[in-house]
Amino acid sequence: MNLDSKSLSTSATTPWLGVAFRAWSGTRWVETAVSGLDGRALAVAAEALESQLATGRTGGPPPGPAATTVGSFDTAPPRPMRDLGTEGTLARVRELFRWATDDPMIKFVRVGLSWNEEERHYLNTAGANCYQRFDRVRVGVIPVAIENGRSEYDVLQVGSLGGQELLDSLTETRVHQATAMAKALLKSRAPPSGLMNVLLDPGTTGTFAHESFGHGAEADQFVRNRSYLQPLLGKTIAPEFLTLVDDGSIPGAWGSIHFDDEGHPSQRTLLVDHGRFVGALHDRGTAFALGASPTGNTRRSDFLGQAFVRMTNTLIEPGDWNLEELVRETRDGVLLERWESGMEDPLGGQMQLKVRRGHRIENGQLTDLVSAMVLSGGVLQFLRDIRGIAKDENPEIAAGYCGKGYGDLLPVGDGGAYLLSRALVGPS
Amino acid sequence: MSAPSNLAARVADRLRGLAGPWDVFAEHSRRFEIHLSGTRVELTRGPLDLEGFGLRLLRAVEGQTGVGFQASTDFSERGVRTAVEEAETFARFNQFPAKHPELPGGRPSTGDGAKIVDPALWSDPAGALERYGAALLAAFEGRNGVVPSFSSIKATLTEASVANSTGLTYAYAHTAVETEVAVKAFGGPEGRPPGEYWFSDLGRRLDPGPLPTLAADWARFAEDARRAKSPPNGEVPVVLPPDVLAGIVPAVVRFQFGASARLRGLGVVSESQVGAEGLDVFDDGLLDWGVGSSPVDDEGTPQRKRKLISNGRASQLLYDVLHADALGAASSGNGVRTSGFDPGANLWLKFTRRPAPEASTIVIPPGNGGTDAEIVEQVDDGVWVQQIAWAQPDEMGGRFGGEIRIGYRIRHGKLAEPVRGGTVGGGVVTREGTPSLLHDLSVIGSRPKLMGSLSSPTLLVRNLSVSGDDHAPAPP
Repeated sequence: MNLDSKSLSTSATTPWLGVAFRAWSGTRWVETAVSGLDGRALAVAAEALESQLATGRTGGPPPGPAATTVGSFDTAPPRPMRDLGTEGTLARVRELFRWATDDPMIKFVRVGLSWNEEERHYLNTAGANCYQRFDRVRVGVIPVAIENGRSEYDVLQVGSLGGQELLDSLTETRVHQATAMAKALLKSRAPPSGLMNVLLDPGTTGTFAHESFGHGAEADQFVRNRSYLQPLLGKTIAPEFLTLVDDGSIPGAWGSIHFDDEGHPSQRTLLVDHGRFVGALHDRGTAFALGASPTGNTRRSDFLGQAFVRMTNTLIEPGDWNLEELVRETRDGVLLERWESGMEDPLGGQMQLKVRRGHRIENGQLTDLVSAMVLSGGVLQFLRDIRGIAKDENPEIAAGYCGKGYGDLLPVGDGGAYLLSRALVGPS
Repeated sequence: MSAPSNLAARVADRLRGLAGPWDVFAEHSRRFEIHLSGTRVELTRGPLDLEGFGLRLLRAVEGQTGVGFQASTDFSERGVRTAVEEAETFARFNQFPAKHPELPGGRPSTGDGAKIVDPALWSDPAGALERYGAALLAAFEGRNGVVPSFSSIKATLTEASVANSTGLTYAYAHTAVETEVAVKAFGGPEGRPPGEYWFSDLGRRLDPGPLPTLAADWARFAEDARRAKSPPNGEVPVVLPPDVLAGIVPAVVRFQFGASARLRGLGVVSESQVGAEGLDVFDDGLLDWGVGSSPVDDEGTPQRKRKLISNGRASQLLYDVLHADALGAASSGNGVRTSGFDPGANLWLKFTRRPAPEASTIVIPPGNGGTDAEIVEQVDDGVWVQQIAWAQPDEMGGRFGGEIRIGYRIRHGKLAEPVRGGTVGGGVVTREGTPSLLHDLSVIGSRPKLMGSLSSPTLLVRNLSVSGDDHAPAPP
């Protein structure tokens, strides 16, 4: 459902069903897929798979043992979005819209709400039989302020597994904070440029954990010799107070799953333990190739997507500073706020993080509001330069979508706390 | 090649008696993929077979139009009936400020149309992918210390069709190819870390012909990444080849010149000076091999070529049927069903989306700036940006910014040392009187290249903001 200053649109996709088949040819995995559950179409897809096996079945067995997990998880929320109905949902969207348009300086507002019910069923010839069902809800409010031809916006966005309870977290106060920020950005200065101390807000820290570090810890890149992190496994790469995990088992988190798409249960995987790089994320094949165990991170975007190593919820654990202390410690630099995106560089180990806004830090004080920024630097140097991480005073797992390379989007969560380091910054 | 199947007509047959206006857009897609790890095929996929349709109903609601939309993969009589019921329900809730939207009628006059089908790929997709993969590996044979570490080629063969309540029915075929190649240069004997150039492109053809030349370029960029330094810090002249511009210009132009932005008080101001004098920018839905090209748009209106910027001034806009009616114009053949920021999905999951004003291929015509080398000769001190991590422009604010993955310092009219890291950013299309990429053009090259959704030559921009930590004076 999308409501803006000119139009209202609600729409849906009827249940979209499909099946992916995978088999080992002797030297490689082969896959086919088909939409619908029509028996004839399924037979065609299965025959197409078999025809490829018939021409290529030489070589060895598939890599590693297959999962044998049997289980069923239905995480239907106590207050599903479905029960709210179109009219009830529209009433909540209109309320968010009204709060955002209270201010005459806000010239345009868009409220978007989406929810989906997803069922996944995984079966294999080793006996695995895993069924899981999720409800995912995501809401965003974008107020746009325009003055003298300059337009600026802020974004309020939340998402999680669950139902109507997520809407309860979107209060009038939070919406007004977003509209006030959009207005304030009209007067914002350009950000500073160059190498400086950088303080990341919790969402940006989470984006760093996922995009900058996490992608380099996906073990399919190890097998391809395409990770800057691979030679560093077991070594200290960050201060002792830094711990970084991927955890697909957090109840209700946006990126959580019960099983991955090879039938392995989700789990909490330590990637960096008190500064030491201790683990990577695996599927069946990479675990076999590297002498490790699958970590429940094999994911398909849907039945049409490829199953490969993906993150779930990737988090930097909190430290023991408070924000005021970190600002003082920064002394001169910039606070980066409201993450927008990041981009991985699995072999090169560079990083790009983009934020919507921030504040200058001068003489240990937060000063001017500055407009959108992009941060760049080497991940390992950035890790070495971390000087402090804040306490987790308002923990929230941000809801995003990850594309690995250039596609295969799926839901992932990121989280963290305020984090102080050093990097290059420029305007965006 | 046989006539493309017309799934929309099949749905339309089940809609006889349904009050108009309504339209149906349908797709049958088959996708094939090959994934290489180094020189080894690690995965082949296909056919991935998908059929679906999107049904749209336009209903009068309180002096406006209620747009009901439902997407489905169920073509049965019951499935279509369910889609109609759901769409009718949504139409009652929805509102759009169009009073009498008119869907295109009859059989559209599309002329010869653009080339959008790779015949060799269509006839033998799996074989074409295997051959392309082999050609890719062959292009790196004999290169010392440079290998492709990862490659993925995805080909999609689609039969698209549209039908509506005025009797229009039209079907056409198209192919799409997504290519991703990571090229690795091993670390040097002095302990340098390895370097990588990570290429991606979206096109319509699977053409192995240019691979030897491309592989040589990719290998050079990967090797140079190993010894690159940080770029300078400040406002400097920047040269942007089409490879980089493709990630910047189309995203901003399509929003700023879309009737959707105009209707909402966003986007460019009519006749405002948004580009350099003499600059023309087009949207071309009939460009051969353009990823946005097709005989008709996703509402059945014939595609065309349209001037968006004329002599530097904002000119025409991009319209679909609904926005055209709301703004008192005619559809420009830009009613496109997009799938958000996953560009590949835009070419085969369209049926899940409603039409909206959208660009086809943005075209910046060649100028008289000459070859890339001749453009560089005109720069005393600047930066050539070969690749940005992800420019991800702010389409509303008209700005972009991103990390430089590989580029070159320009000194005294020549490419000098490679640069990497740091950032480049600035305006693309901004309000009149503020600096921007299109406004501050000092040179437009003479050799256009089609990359993704852009056809453009290399551009020299007078000043863009570059951040780096290289404060050292330039060597003599």
